[in-house]
Amino acid sequence: MAHQAHAMLYSVDPSPSPLTGAVAALLMTSGLAISMHFHTTTLMSLGLVLLLLTMYQSSRDIIREGTFQGHHTPPVQKGLRYGMILFITSEVFFFLGFFSAFYHSSLAPTPELGGCSPPTGITTLNPFEVPLLNTAVLLASGVTVTSAHHSIMEGQRKQAIQSLTLTILLGFYFTALQAMEYYEAPFTIADGVYGSTFFVATGFHGLHVIIGSTFFAICLLRQAQYHFTSDHHFGFEAAASYSHSCLMSYDSSFTSLFTDEAS
Amino acid sequence: MSGKFEEKIKKYRTAPFDARFPNTNQTRNCYQNYLDYHRCNKVLSAKKQKTTPCEWYRRVYKSLCPIAWVQKWDDQRQSGTFAGRI
Repeated sequence: MAHQAHAMLYSVDPSPSPLTGAVAALLMTSGLAISMHFHTTTLMSLGLVLLLLTMYQSSRDIIREGTFQGHHTPPVQKGLRYGMILFITSEVFFFLGFFSAFYHSSLAPTPELGGCSPPTGITTLNPFEVPLLNTAVLLASGVTVTSAHHSIMEGQRKQAIQSLTLTILLGFYFTALQAMEYYEAPFTIADGVYGSTFFVATGFHGLHVIIGSTFFAICLLRQAQYHFTSDHHFGFEAAASYSHSCLMSYDSSFTSLFTDEAS
Repeated sequence: MSGKFEEKIKKYRTAPFDARFPNTNQTRNCYQNYLDYHRCNKVLSAKKQKTTPCEWYRRVYKSLCPIAWVQKWDDQRQSGTFAGRI
């Protein structure tokens, strides 16, 4: 029994990715600190390049192991699903930290802020302008990604490609709108605790949207090259789960960070 | 009415219990009375009335607030950078 179950699993071949990924993280973090003290971005850029190479190589290896070598049997897939769920859960908690920081400062505003929330001097954004549009864009991308998923499951190749492309375009539209909002905002990250919590939370969110768009772009390339079958397309499902959780974090930001009477 | 008020001021020892601020952290108590004193002054002076009733708030914030905070807020009010609404 035990060795029968074992035959369905597999051990990966040795890979430099864990080492290169760890070194990239080290170079990026120390590089960030160095850039703030000595005004040179060399170390951080080196780390970023190494990170991108690691991402490219490790995802290429996983695709080779799964799609081309057939190692992603049902129990293996189950393990991958667990992994993605756990990772997404950790991301949720990551965002909860930033929401907690916001509520800590906004629910009991100190005299330094004028005892009020939003603080004295802060002109908040109107939530029913660009933020509402951004919410709509992300929700629309949720619809297109579900459509893409169903198209993949139904074996409708062309429709899947179209829906996936539309999803990616919506992601880019969101990023462009948010970049414009950042440029036009009447307050900056340096504007007290309001500015800090706003830009750190929305900044990390925007980064996650970019990551989601990238993940979908990989999926689009793979779909075009016939990697996905109607039963087995975990890479796509992972990207969709990740983006859905990203969308939900924006919805929560919308109701808390953007409203005028912030609690 | 002013007689009873003057009596209350004369018998003042320290800030009494204020049910609006029941917890150990009394920051808001100090800040609120500081604001109320200056708001009271502003409104009564604008109406050309005597500012005697404001004395209560002054006594309370003087009892409660750290001197450094009061000095900082006074400086901010002078330079127009005080964050509170007076």
